[in-house]
Amino acid sequence: MALFKLHVPILDDIKAKGLKPALLAKVDDAVTRFTAGLSIGDIRGVLRGDPAPRPNPRVKPHADGFWFHMRPTYYHNLVTPLYPEFRLGWLSLYFMVFETLTGIFLMIFYTPSPLVAFENMLNILSNVPLGLFMRDLHKFGAEMMVAVVSLHMLRTVLTGNYKKPRQFTWFTGVVLLLVTLILSFSGYLLPWDQLSLWAVTIGASMVEAVPTPWPLNIFGEQVLGDPSFVGTWINNIARGGPQFNADGLLRWYLLHILALPLIGFVFIGVHYYKVVIHGHSLPPEAEKVGEDTAKRVPMDQRTYFMPDIITRELFYVALVTFVCVFAVTLGGFHASLEPHADPLVTPLHTTAPWYFLWVQGMLKLGDKVFWGLIAPGIIFSLLFVLGYIEVGPSRRYADRRIGLSVCMVALVALSVTTFMGTPWYAVSSSPDQEVVAALVPQTHPGLLRETPFEKLIVDDYNAADWQSAPNPEMKALLREYEDELEIARQKRDAITGKPIMPDAEGLMIVEDWQAGLKKITLRINWTKSDGTPGTFSQDVYLHKDSNYGE
Amino acid sequence: MSIRVILGSVLIALTMMITAFVMVNEPARMADFDAGYKGRSIEAGATLFQTACIGCHGVQGQGIDNIAPALNAADLLDDTKGTPARLKEIGWSGSLPDYLRAAIAGGRPRASASFANYPQRMPTWSQEFGGPMRPDQVENLVDFVMNWKEGAIAAAAAVPTVSIDAVGTDIKVELPEGDAANGELLFGGKVNGKFPCSACHSLQAGQTLVGPSLAGIATTAATRKDGYSAEQYIHESVVQPNTYIVEGFVNPSIMPATFGAQMTKEELADIIAYLMTLK
Repeated sequence: MALFKLHVPILDDIKAKGLKPALLAKVDDAVTRFTAGLSIGDIRGVLRGDPAPRPNPRVKPHADGFWFHMRPTYYHNLVTPLYPEFRLGWLSLYFMVFETLTGIFLMIFYTPSPLVAFENMLNILSNVPLGLFMRDLHKFGAEMMVAVVSLHMLRTVLTGNYKKPRQFTWFTGVVLLLVTLILSFSGYLLPWDQLSLWAVTIGASMVEAVPTPWPLNIFGEQVLGDPSFVGTWINNIARGGPQFNADGLLRWYLLHILALPLIGFVFIGVHYYKVVIHGHSLPPEAEKVGEDTAKRVPMDQRTYFMPDIITRELFYVALVTFVCVFAVTLGGFHASLEPHADPLVTPLHTTAPWYFLWVQGMLKLGDKVFWGLIAPGIIFSLLFVLGYIEVGPSRRYADRRIGLSVCMVALVALSVTTFMGTPWYAVSSSPDQEVVAALVPQTHPGLLRETPFEKLIVDDYNAADWQSAPNPEMKALLREYEDELEIARQKRDAITGKPIMPDAEGLMIVEDWQAGLKKITLRINWTKSDGTPGTFSQDVYLHKDSNYGE
Repeated sequence: MSIRVILGSVLIALTMMITAFVMVNEPARMADFDAGYKGRSIEAGATLFQTACIGCHGVQGQGIDNIAPALNAADLLDDTKGTPARLKEIGWSGSLPDYLRAAIAGGRPRASASFANYPQRMPTWSQEFGGPMRPDQVENLVDFVMNWKEGAIAAAAAVPTVSIDAVGTDIKVELPEGDAANGELLFGGKVNGKFPCSACHSLQAGQTLVGPSLAGIATTAATRKDGYSAEQYIHESVVQPNTYIVEGFVNPSIMPATFGAQMTKEELADIIAYLMTLK
C-alpha cells in the first residue's frame, strides 16, 4: 500500500487520449486561463472575423479578467467609427504608458544632481546603447502627449460632451491636462543644460510674482517686513533657494517621476471609470435634446469590444508607435542638448516650450502678475467649472452658436498669443547682437557651425563681397550675414527714430588656431549717432570633429 | 477588420526593423558622438582659454616671460618617450591630462622651484577649490590644452608679435581722451581677447573671482591713495599692479605686471574711461 500516490493529471490524459491531443488540450487550457476566457479556437475565430458563437466567449475576459474589467463589452455602432472621438482618449492613455516605459529606461542612468546630471546625459548619449533613441522617444512622446491630450479636450468641447451627466468626467480631464502640461515642462529641467535652466527660470520667475494676499500683507509689512514674502517663499520651494540649486533640481525630479505620474494615474483611473459609468456619449444629432441614451444600446446597434474595438485600439497603438520610432530615426527628430547650465550666461531668445508660448506671449502684454498668473488662473478655473456653468441641455451645434463662437475666438487668441511668445515678436536686443546671434545662435548650432569645417577657408572676408567667396557654402554664409546686416541697417531707435547703425559693415576672419581647430571672428563696425565708431565682435571656435551638421 | 490586423502587423514589423537597424548602428553612433563631444569640448575650452588664461599664458599658449610658462610646448605635451620632461621634474605619477586637470583646478599654491623665472602663483580655477569654474569647464580646458599636442612636439607654435606703441609703466604719461564703450569691450576681453580684465575682476559688489571686485571703482579709487585722483590710481594699478595691494589680497599681486608693455595709450585711456563710469 503506497503511503504517497503521486498524481500527475497530464499523464492520465496522455494515457486516455494519446500524447498529441493531450498536449494540445493542455496548451488550449493554458491559453484560456491566460486570456481569462478565450481558447485558441476563439482567438482564431476573432482573427478570421467569424461571427461570435452562442454563448459568446468573447465577453468572458470582461467579467473574469483584470485588464478588461473596466472596458464595456460592447459599444454603440454610432461611436465606433473614427469620427466622433478620433481615438484621442485611448491615445492619451497610451502615451502615459509609453512615457512611463521610456522614462524608466532613462531613470536608470540619471542622478538628479547639478554636479552630474549633465554628464549623465552625455553618458546616455555616448555610452548607453539605445540611449539617444530612448531619450528622443521620451521627448517626442511627451510632445505628442501634450498635443493628443489638448486635441482630446478640444474635441470634447466641440461636441459638448462635458455636459450633464459628464461634468465630473470633464473636471478630471482638466486635471489630467494640467498634469500633462506640468509633466512635460518639469522634464525640461532635468538635463541641466542651458535650455533647461532658462526655460524653467521663466516659469519659476512667474510663481515668484505671486502677491501676498492682503491680510498677510499687512502682517507681512509689519511683522516680517517683506510684502512679497509669499512669492519669495514659493520661489524658494520651486528653486531650492534664490537660484536653482541641487535641492531645486531634486524637487523637480521627484515632481516629474513620482508626484505627477501618481496624480496622473489616479485621475486616469477616475476619468476612465466615469467614462465607463456614463457610457460613450452618442453624436449630438443621434439623440433627443436633453436625453442621454448612451447606456441604452439596442441589440442590433452593438459593436462588440472583442474583436472590433480591440483590433482598432491595437492598430492605433501599432500606428502611433511606428510614427514615434520613425520620427526619431528616419524623421530626424532629436531632443536637443545645449551647453551645461550656466546661471551667469543668459542665452538670447530663450523661449518656453511650444505649448506654453501662449503664456510667454501674454507676459509681453504687460504686468507679470496679471498676465502670468491671474489670466492663466482664470482660464483654467473656467475650464474646471465649464461643465457646471454651461448648463444648456442641447449638445447640437446649431443650438450652441455662442459657445462655439467663444471657443473659436479662444483658439484664435491662443494662436495669436502663441505667435507673440516666439522671438519673432517684439523682442529686440541691440541690432549688432541680433546679427551675430542669427549666424551663431546660443540655443542651437546655427548656420556658421553647420558649415563644413574644411569649407571655411582661412582669410579675411567682408560680408558685402559675399559673391567673391571661395565656395558655395561660404557664399551662403556671407550672404546670410549681409542679409542680416541689411535688416540691422534698417532698424531705428525707438525714441529718436534715427537709424541705429545705417552704415554697418560685417567682417569675418577665419584663422587656423590649433590642429583641427579654427577661430572665426565676426566683427561689425558702424558709426554711432554721435559720430564715434562702434564695434561688436564675437569669436567662435570650430573643431573638425564637432559635426554640428548631423 | 482583417485589414487592420494585417496593417497593424506590418507596422509592428516595420517598427521592429527600424529599432534593429538603430541597434546595429549603435556602436558607430556612440563613437561619433564621443568624437563630436570631444570637438565641442575643445571649442568651449578655446573660449575659456581666451577669457581666463591668455593674460598669463599668452594668446596661443606660448607663455609670457616672468609671468607664466608656455603650455604649447613639447616639454609639457610630448609623452612619446614616456613621461613629459616637466612632469618628470616634479615627480608627477598620474597621466598628462590628470596633471593639467590638477594644475588648472587647484592652481599653483607656490611658485615652482625649478622655474625660477616664474615667481607668480597661479590662482585656483575650479569651484571645488574656491575658483570660478565648474568641473566640466576645467575639463574643457584640459581638452583644449591637450589638443596642442600635435604641433607642440615639433616646436612651440610661432606666434606673430604685434609691435605697438606701448604705454609703459610711467604713470605721469599723458593719455588721450578715453572711449568708455570701447573700454567696456576691452574689459570684457571682446577685442581679440587682449586684456580680459573681466576674467579676474567681477563687476558685482563683493564677488571675488581672482582679483578684487571693481563694482563702484570710480568712487572708491579716489580714496585709495592720498593725493591721487581716481584716474591716476586706476592708471597706476593697471601698469604697476604691485604698488598698492587691496586689503585681503596677496602681496605681491598676482595681476600680470606686463600690461604697460602690452597696451597702447589709447587702450589704457579707454579702459580708464570705462571704469570711471562704474560709480
